[in-house]
Amino acid sequence: MPNESAIEVSNLTKYYGKLLAVDQVSFVVKGKELFGLLGPNGAGKTTTIRMICGMLRPTGGTVVVAGFDVSQKPEEVKRRIGLVPDVSNLFGELSARVNLEFMGKLYGLDKRTRRERIDQVLDLFQLRERQNDLVKYYSKGMHRRLTIAAALVHEPEILIMDEPTSGLDAQTARLVREIIIDLNKKGRTVLLTTHQIEEADRLCQRIGIIDRGHLIALNTPEELKNSVEGQRALEIKVMNGVDEQRWVPILKEAEGVDHVLLAEGKIRVLSKDLPHVIPTVVNLLDKHGGKIENISVAQPTLEDAFINLTGKSIREEPMSKEDYLKRRLARSGMR
Amino acid sequence: MKTDKPLKPLMHSVYIAENDLRQSFKSVRHVVWSLLFPIFMMFTFSFRYGAIGPDPLFINFLIPGIVGMTAMFGSTNETMSIVWDKSLGVFDRILAAPVSSSSIIVGKTMAGAVMGVISALVLLVIGNLLFHVSFPNIALVLIVVALASFSFTGIGTIISGLASEPREAMMLSNLLRFPMMFLGGVFFQVESMPMPLPYVARALPLTYATEGLRAVMSGNMAVVLLDAIALVAYTIGTMLVGSTTLMKIMTR
Repeated sequence: MPNESAIEVSNLTKYYGKLLAVDQVSFVVKGKELFGLLGPNGAGKTTTIRMICGMLRPTGGTVVVAGFDVSQKPEEVKRRIGLVPDVSNLFGELSARVNLEFMGKLYGLDKRTRRERIDQVLDLFQLRERQNDLVKYYSKGMHRRLTIAAALVHEPEILIMDEPTSGLDAQTARLVREIIIDLNKKGRTVLLTTHQIEEADRLCQRIGIIDRGHLIALNTPEELKNSVEGQRALEIKVMNGVDEQRWVPILKEAEGVDHVLLAEGKIRVLSKDLPHVIPTVVNLLDKHGGKIENISVAQPTLEDAFINLTGKSIREEPMSKEDYLKRRLARSGMR
Repeated sequence: MKTDKPLKPLMHSVYIAENDLRQSFKSVRHVVWSLLFPIFMMFTFSFRYGAIGPDPLFINFLIPGIVGMTAMFGSTNETMSIVWDKSLGVFDRILAAPVSSSSIIVGKTMAGAVMGVISALVLLVIGNLLFHVSFPNIALVLIVVALASFSFTGIGTIISGLASEPREAMMLSNLLRFPMMFLGGVFFQVESMPMPLPYVARALPLTYATEGLRAVMSGNMAVVLLDAIALVAYTIGTMLVGSTTLMKIMTR
């Protein structure tokens, strides 16, 4: 790619009426990079993506994709982007092949090129045998594969994916992740959003953490983890632990404890002063009748970094009414 | 770079229209259901005189009205598919593609007009087979039906711009279409309605469609021409309003 940066976002801002969804967000996605926007629901990820793709007009700021300003040359930008939305939005009443044909036509491919490319992507995603079935009879995983295929028919330089694996079973999610890595290896720039920390950690070369419309950090996963400097994590498994939630408020009160969260059936205590915190925590558990099955000191994770930056865990955040509203506004076509 | 292919935006519209119609005709039930309503209305009103059977004079009045009404339902239903597209997210697919907003609107309008013409023709054939109502000048009938269908698409686009979800669109469209059906000269003569209803009727495109079709039957070319002009004016007017409301949701 001739220009270094594939996507340049500067001071991007979006208000829905009085509701601020994206606030002065700036970042650059380099050519051939696999870049992730990580943040909880309602953080402004989808809104940002829709502005980059020219589907939503920003209130302020600019987006330049492959050298073209989105507000001035939306069609040039759209031609270079393949968008995979968070919900599979294919025409259910039409077959996979007809769906892909339509995409090819909209992107101005001639008949021969269309046939070649469609054959290619159908093979790539192993949908060849079912190509003439109506899409409404497809399984969730097939839907997702076809949605990605539809974004690739016009061979875009840049692939933008909104929550590519959300709502998928573990097996399909793994397959989709492999596809993403593979596409990136073949030289495509990929920008994806996710609210799953592990996913961002595993896939992305660089991660931008977005929260409440602000971009609060941008770095490689390793550097983000290193930013949790001095802080370490204590992982505790309580015997017969069913109701781990009840330990959170108890342990949070202990001196020296920064954060307490639950992950995969374990209690995770973050602290800058583990030597002093360990006895306190053990005593507290003992006092309240908790028997420790296993206790260990763990490496800081990206989740720890996220908590440090935002002051909260990405998992435990329930969606507020405002977030829900923003989500609806970003996805529906209404003002 | 754009000027060397002036036909491209038009081709986009054709693809969008083609894709729309393909979906509508894919589900046979959808087509049958939408045509059942006008067919049912045709039968109901044809037996207006009880057991005696269809009144030959009234049926000649009724069939052109039903044909115009069918064009209205077919055309608005098809154009309103935008609301369904939006709620299913497939509209995003078109928005994300390098297609101009005007191409999208023209495409949806084309699909609506084609659907209007096709459904009107089906009713025309049924009317001809069952009640032996025939039009002397089929080419002129086609022109009037096409103009009428185009004039109704604007209603569909306006509703699509206003409604946020399918249920709202159905309600809005019925609010507009049912009064229009009864006031637009389908079942009763516009002139025989009490004041000020004839004036209201004159504001509705369906009135010109039904009047125009009857004028083709009776061979009154002056009226056909006037009605055609009214329908063209209506088409331009509603398309302008419709595209501004739609434009608002497309380029927020």
